[in-house]
Amino acid sequence: MTELTVGPITRTDIVRFAGASGDFNPLHHDEERARAAGFPGVFAMGQLQAGMLSRLATDWLGLRAIRSYRVRFSAKVWPGDTLFLRGREEARHREEETGEELVHCVLEAVRQDGEVAVKAWVTALA
Amino acid sequence: VNGATPTVGTLVDEFSFPVDESKVREFALAIKDPSPRYVDPAAAAAEGFERVPAPLTFAVVAAHHRDAAAAVGLLGLDISRVVVGEVAWQYERPVLVGDRLDGRRVVADVKSRDGGRGGRMTLVTLETELRNQHGELAIRQREVLIETGA
Repeated sequence: MTELTVGPITRTDIVRFAGASGDFNPLHHDEERARAAGFPGVFAMGQLQAGMLSRLATDWLGLRAIRSYRVRFSAKVWPGDTLFLRGREEARHREEETGEELVHCVLEAVRQDGEVAVKAWVTALA
Repeated sequence: VNGATPTVGTLVDEFSFPVDESKVREFALAIKDPSPRYVDPAAAAAEGFERVPAPLTFAVVAAHHRDAAAAVGLLGLDISRVVVGEVAWQYERPVLVGDRLDGRRVVADVKSRDGGRGGRMTLVTLETELRNQHGELAIRQREVLIETGA
């Protein structure tokens, strides 16, 4: 079990990630365009949350040990939101071919209102 | 733009980008990861890396080197209705500062089904093999794009 709180997420955080990642979809930085598209305002790109959640996995399991990381986006994150990141081990198994012991973990980024924004599955060398 | 169905095996785009020190540092800062392994070669070495490694989701920086609108158009999807549902990365070998990554995104699967509100929903799975400058497979990426019904 591991956990971490991040936020509140600011527009500056979103713009910084746009620059770092190259995701310049205007819905993430242009209030007018976001409203014209029917949203109350700009919102974070899922990959920002996926990246913040990946830190929980690497702090806990070690970057070198991680074999796979899968994320599913389920709710938006808005400026002002705080995310509660948590992870737990689900299972372990030994690979037949390699003899390696692998650990399977589930991670979530949960908004302050209880909505899960991102769920992730990680496999790492135990 | 709409109507055409993407075909399995279609090459969506090809890209190549350097894994450079500044970009890795900038990316780690953007995801709020303060680990010294992304800035300090000694900290990276202590974890068994030859050089400073890239964060787990660093492959998303390929967005700098691709045209999202063109890719979605090529797939025959309406970009205003497309969201990314899921992304998975499988790590075959470490990605380190000084490497170059080359990728080819290919359509791996296409599914269409009735959406919740009557329209048709299309799910397109794209697969990318990211290879380093030696041609070695570093990361397999799988992403599911969802086009919601009109």
